[in-house]
Amino acid sequence: MIEVEHLRKEFKRIIKDPGLSGSIKALFHPKYEIIPAVEDISFQVPAGEVLGFIGPNGAGKSTVIKMLTGILTPTSGTCTINGKNPTADRKKYVKEIGVVFGQRTQLWWDLPLRETYGVLKEIYEVPEERYRERMTMLNEVLEMDSFMASPVRTLSLGQRMRADIAASLLHSPKVLFLDEPTIGLDVVVKNNIRKAIQQINRTEQTTVILTTHDISDIELLCSRIVMVDKGKKVYDGSLETLKNKYGTMRELSFLPEEAQPFSSEAFLKALPLSAADYTFSEENGRMHLRFNSEKMPVKDLLSFTLSHCSAKDIAIREADVEEIIRRLYREGVQPDE
Amino acid sequence: MNKLLRQYWPFTVAGVQSTLMYSVNILFFSLSEVLYCFVMFYLWQAVFAASGGDSFMGFDMNDMVVYLFMSNATAYLTASAADEMIADEIKDGSISMRLLKPVNFTASILSMDLAGPMVMFFVVFLPMTAGVEIYRGVQCGCVMFDPLHFSLYLVSALIAYLLSFYQNMCFGFLAFYVTNLWGMGILKKILLKFLSGAVIPLAFMPPVLREVLRLLPFSSLSYTPVMLYMGKLSLQESLISFGLQAFWLVAFILFCRLIWKCAIRRLSVQGG
Ligand SMILES: Nc1ncnc2c1ncn2[C@@H]1O[C@H](COP(=O)(O)OP(=O)(O)OP(=O)(O)O)[C@@H](O)[C@H]1O
Ligand SMILES: [Mg+2]
Repeated sequence: MIEVEHLRKEFKRIIKDPGLSGSIKALFHPKYEIIPAVEDISFQVPAGEVLGFIGPNGAGKSTVIKMLTGILTPTSGTCTINGKNPTADRKKYVKEIGVVFGQRTQLWWDLPLRETYGVLKEIYEVPEERYRERMTMLNEVLEMDSFMASPVRTLSLGQRMRADIAASLLHSPKVLFLDEPTIGLDVVVKNNIRKAIQQINRTEQTTVILTTHDISDIELLCSRIVMVDKGKKVYDGSLETLKNKYGTMRELSFLPEEAQPFSSEAFLKALPLSAADYTFSEENGRMHLRFNSEKMPVKDLLSFTLSHCSAKDIAIREADVEEIIRRLYREGVQPDE
Repeated sequence: MNKLLRQYWPFTVAGVQSTLMYSVNILFFSLSEVLYCFVMFYLWQAVFAASGGDSFMGFDMNDMVVYLFMSNATAYLTASAADEMIADEIKDGSISMRLLKPVNFTASILSMDLAGPMVMFFVVFLPMTAGVEIYRGVQCGCVMFDPLHFSLYLVSALIAYLLSFYQNMCFGFLAFYVTNLWGMGILKKILLKFLSGAVIPLAFMPPVLREVLRLLPFSSLSYTPVMLYMGKLSLQESLISFGLQAFWLVAFILFCRLIWKCAIRRLSVQGG
C-alpha cells in the first residue's frame, strides 16, 4: 500500500546573468529561483496494483519516484509505503523495494554480471536456495544467458536494462519502482521486460509503479494511470475511462484525384474547425486529417471533404490511446471530476 | 563479522579494480613524489650546512632523510579520496546507486576507499621503506630497523588513515551544499600538508605554534606515525600521541554522523 499525500518538492536554482561577469556576480550575490518540480500530488496505490505514472517531459515523474524511493527528501507532504517513511529508515526500507532507473544502471560498472548478482545476494541476504530459484526464473523470462559473464560496462542498452530489472527483482521486493524501464529498447526486449513485470505482479502480488513514454507499456501492463503535468496531478483513473472520455479524436485519410489539383491550404482554410481541434499532415500524396469528432461529427467532415474535392480511397480510423495522451499533453485536462 | 565482510568486500574489490586501472598514473605520480623528496633533501642539506651544525633540534641529516621519505610514504598510506568520491557521485547522480542498497553509506564508502591504501602499501610504501632502511643502514653500517617502532608506526598509520577518511567524509559532505569542491579541495590539501608536518617537521616550528599544531588533529595524520617510526618519542609522549589520535578519530566519527543527518536532507539526485 502506497500513500502519497500533498507531496511537494522545490528545487533552488541560481540565476546567473550570461557571461563571465554574470558568473562573478552570481558568486557574490547569488540570486535564487525556486522551481516547484512537484506541487501537491496525492494518490494511493493498493497492494498488487500496477500503476502507470505518465506525463510530458519535465512533468515531475522522476522527482516523485526519487522521493518515493527515499533518495530525495520532500519539501513538504508525506509518502508512506507499507507504513514506512522512505527517508526515515533508509537501510530497512530499501530492502523491501526494487528500483530501476532506465537512464542509469544501479549495477557495478566493472563487475561481470554473474558476480554482480552474487554481491547483491549478500547485500540483500537472500538465502542460497532462494537465490538459485530466483536466478533460474529471471534468466528464463529475461533471457540473460548469453551475457551473464560480461562486465556490466560492455552490455548493450537492452542487455543492461534486463540485467537491471533482474537485479531489482532478486530480493523479491514488495514494491517495484520503474522509471522508464523500456526507454530505447527494441520490440523483443520490451516484450521480455513487460513479461517479467507481469509475471512478478501476478505471482507475487508485487505493487508496481512505472513511468513511461511508451503507451503500449500502459495498455499492456497498467490497470490504472496517474497523469501529471507541470508538477500537478491532472488525471487519476483507469485507461478505459480516459478512452471513453477523451477518445473523440478520429483520423480521416484520403487520396485526392490526380485529375483535379488539390490545395491543402485552401482545404484547411475552408475547414470549419479551429486550429486546436485538428492536425493535418501529408504523406506520399495522401492526406491525413486528425480531428475532434465532438466538434465536427464524422459524417459532416466526410461530406465537407467530398464537396471540397474529389477524393478516392477514403479511410477513417479511431484514435488510439497515444493520440488521446498526445492531445491531453497538449491541452491539459479540464479538472471537472 | 563474516556477513559484514561478505557484504562490503565487493566494494573494496571494486575500489582495488579502479585503483589499478590508474596504475600507470600512480607510477608516474610516485616518481614525481620521490623527485620532490630529493629536492627537499638538497634543500635541507643546504639549511644544515648554513646553520653550521650536524644536528638541528635533535634531527641530524640522516633523520631528515628518514623523516622526508617516511612522511611521504605515510601520506600514501593515509590518503583518502572519500571527498572526491562523494563529490563525483553527487555530480553524476550515481550516489543513488549507493543509497538504494541496504548498506551503511559511510561503511560502503570506507570499504571502497580502503582499496587505495591497500594497493599503495605494496606498490609504494614497502619499496620506499626498504629504500630508506637500506640508506640509513649503509650510512651507519648497522641495522637501524626496529620491529617495535615499525609495529607502533603501523598501528598509528592505521588510525591516521581512519582519521583522514573521516575528515574527508566531513569535507565531502560539503558537496551536498556546493556543487564544485575542486578549488576548496586543493586549498585543503596544501593546508593539510603544512599543518600535519609533512613539509616541515613540527619539531622545527616555533614553540607556541608547535604545541598548538600538536594538539590539533592534523599532526595525527603524519607527524605522529613518522616520529614513532623514528623512535623519537618517549613512552609517555607515545601514549599521549596515541591518545590524541584516538580522541580525534572518535570526534570526527561523531561529527561525520551529525553532518550526514543534516546533509542527506539536502541531497538532490541529479538526472533522470
Ligand atoms: N536537481 C534539480 N535541480 C533543479 N531542477 C530540477 C532538478 N531535478 C529536476 N529538476 C526540474 O524539475 C522538473 C521535473 O523533472 P523530472 O526529472 O521529475 O521530470 P520527468 O517527469 O521525469 O521528465 P522526463 O519525462 O523528461 O523524464 C524539471 O523541470 C526539471 O528541470
Ligand atoms: Mg524522468
